[in-house]
Amino acid sequence: MAILEEPIKKVEVLRNYINGEWIESKGELHDIINPATYKTIAKVPFSTKEEVNEAVEKAKEVYPEWRKTTPLARVRCLFRLKELLEENFEEISRIQTVEHGKTIDESRGETRRGIENVEVASGIPSLMMGYNLEDIATGIDEYLIRQPLGVFSCIAPFNFPFMIPLWFAPYAVATGNCIIIKPSSRCPVTQAKVVELVDEAGFPPGVWNIVHGSGAEISSLLMEHPAIKGVTFVGSTNVAKKIYRKCGEFGKRVIAQGGAKNFMLVMPDADLKKTIPALMTSFFGNAGQRCLAGANVIVMGKDDAFYKRFVEAFLKAASRIKVGYGLDDAIQMGPLQSKRAKERVLGFIEKGIDEGARIILDGRKVKITGDYPETCFLNPTVFEDVTVDMTIAKEEIFGPVANIMRAKDFDEAIRIIHTSHYGNAASIFTSNGKYAREFQYRVKCGNIGINIGIAAPMAFFPFGGMKDSFFGILHGQGRESIRFFTESKVVIQRWW
Amino acid sequence: MQLQTTSQLINYAVELEDKSAKFYEDLAEKFEEYKETFLSFVKENKKNKILIYRTYNEVVTDAFETGFSLEGFNTDEYIFEGTVAEDASLSDMVHRALETEQIIQRFYLSTAEKSKSFLADISQVFERIAKKRGEGKEKLKSLL
Repeated sequence: MAILEEPIKKVEVLRNYINGEWIESKGELHDIINPATYKTIAKVPFSTKEEVNEAVEKAKEVYPEWRKTTPLARVRCLFRLKELLEENFEEISRIQTVEHGKTIDESRGETRRGIENVEVASGIPSLMMGYNLEDIATGIDEYLIRQPLGVFSCIAPFNFPFMIPLWFAPYAVATGNCIIIKPSSRCPVTQAKVVELVDEAGFPPGVWNIVHGSGAEISSLLMEHPAIKGVTFVGSTNVAKKIYRKCGEFGKRVIAQGGAKNFMLVMPDADLKKTIPALMTSFFGNAGQRCLAGANVIVMGKDDAFYKRFVEAFLKAASRIKVGYGLDDAIQMGPLQSKRAKERVLGFIEKGIDEGARIILDGRKVKITGDYPETCFLNPTVFEDVTVDMTIAKEEIFGPVANIMRAKDFDEAIRIIHTSHYGNAASIFTSNGKYAREFQYRVKCGNIGINIGIAAPMAFFPFGGMKDSFFGILHGQGRESIRFFTESKVVIQRWW
Repeated sequence: MQLQTTSQLINYAVELEDKSAKFYEDLAEKFEEYKETFLSFVKENKKNKILIYRTYNEVVTDAFETGFSLEGFNTDEYIFEGTVAEDASLSDMVHRALETEQIIQRFYLSTAEKSKSFLADISQVFERIAKKRGEGKEKLKSLL
């Protein structure tokens, strides 16, 4: 057992980063707690309306100059940022672990995925190119150019404090916009570290800004501000809907990613030896706190022997998961991010039992490796005999809870999946290509996994989402992100 | 100790590289005549370490399945004697080095095989290192 060194040595008050300066907020301070040790690691201010407005106004002032900066010069800042992120890879990863609770492998994975977005956005000189056609009529040419819009804002969630702001910010600034990031008020320290590196990378003041604070208040201020051209949000469906509505009202572009309830379909021909680890990662990785996490597993077919074999293997693997502090490199699952998050999950477990699901692994009996307070910890929970009408099958739990269901055939499985109002992700585990294709063709979800537990799109693909899991048209990451952060201007030209 | 996570696996591989590098450094100091040969092993160990860390850092994802699938990795199977006794002969020490190489090579091959479907890149790197270790054994034999 090796416990890695803590990355944060003393409790500091986080500051806003506005127009290239570190500014102390006048807002109320809130403690940031390490969910594993339950010790305070930082204090975050809830910035005032004036501070938010100042950030937007400064970014607006800077925008015309940044827009005129050549794409090559803009991405050189990103190249330097990428190098700095690599140099600080381990520290950034450990900060995520201490403020979020995820294991060190998960944090490093998140760091890598975030950096990949910086890498992709560094290709802007090619990616931002428009297109043209000569002779649309005799002697007349037509072409399309992409232009930035101004100032964007990013409202970030707690579950991926490093990666999610990087789904958007590198593309926003590479295309010539300025951005204001509002990190999660529960996990703001990672972004505070990132912006230190942004500062070192030499972005002109005002291009990349951070304003800490309460999600609801700051989001409203940003959405209502006339200088903000667009908003990106990742969080619950309830809030995503509100953001989408408000952005519509105030004429902003929007990417609003909501919640999820992801189904994993296990076919009788699935290779269980390989499927089970993929499912463990899916259901219990990040302590179940990700929008691509598995929530309901459907075992297809009437073969009771296969079903029994699956449940035994699933249960055995889940019960062996080592829970503890993510800085211990032997740990497979960390705590929930907060006490409130744990209480929420406990509420769902109670509800599951009340509604008749059979609990076959009770994660409420907490068993932690190491001497840490139980406050935010839960072990994996597994329910059997779950039906679609139960709350645990319908609502997003966002914790380490797996529901096992059965479907008599493929059509019934698809019907079950479509009872959900969410459409974020779904996976099938099979060795039959025909079923895999049918699944991909019919399932109404934005991210499909075929023998993949976490169908997480790479930086050069958009992060999909359908139904109540996504509100908007263009998605984050890759080419769609570039379209989101630019206007398409068409020029038709004739010379006499 | 049982290894259960990717991080543990990587750290353990690096630990083996460090320990064997120290062993060859000591051999280089003791057997002046063969200093260059032993130091070439130290250089290889350091290169392997960089290669392992680089591969891990470049392919690590938060969705690693290895964290939930590693089985049968017991470090007790790969313990080797990495000290150089004052009165040891060259022949004794070369035999010890050969045993060390054998043990480490076994670790890499076994890990590469078991992690193939979950950590393809790391598995490939481990196979490469195992191959290099095999070639190193031939170099050691030439000292006998």
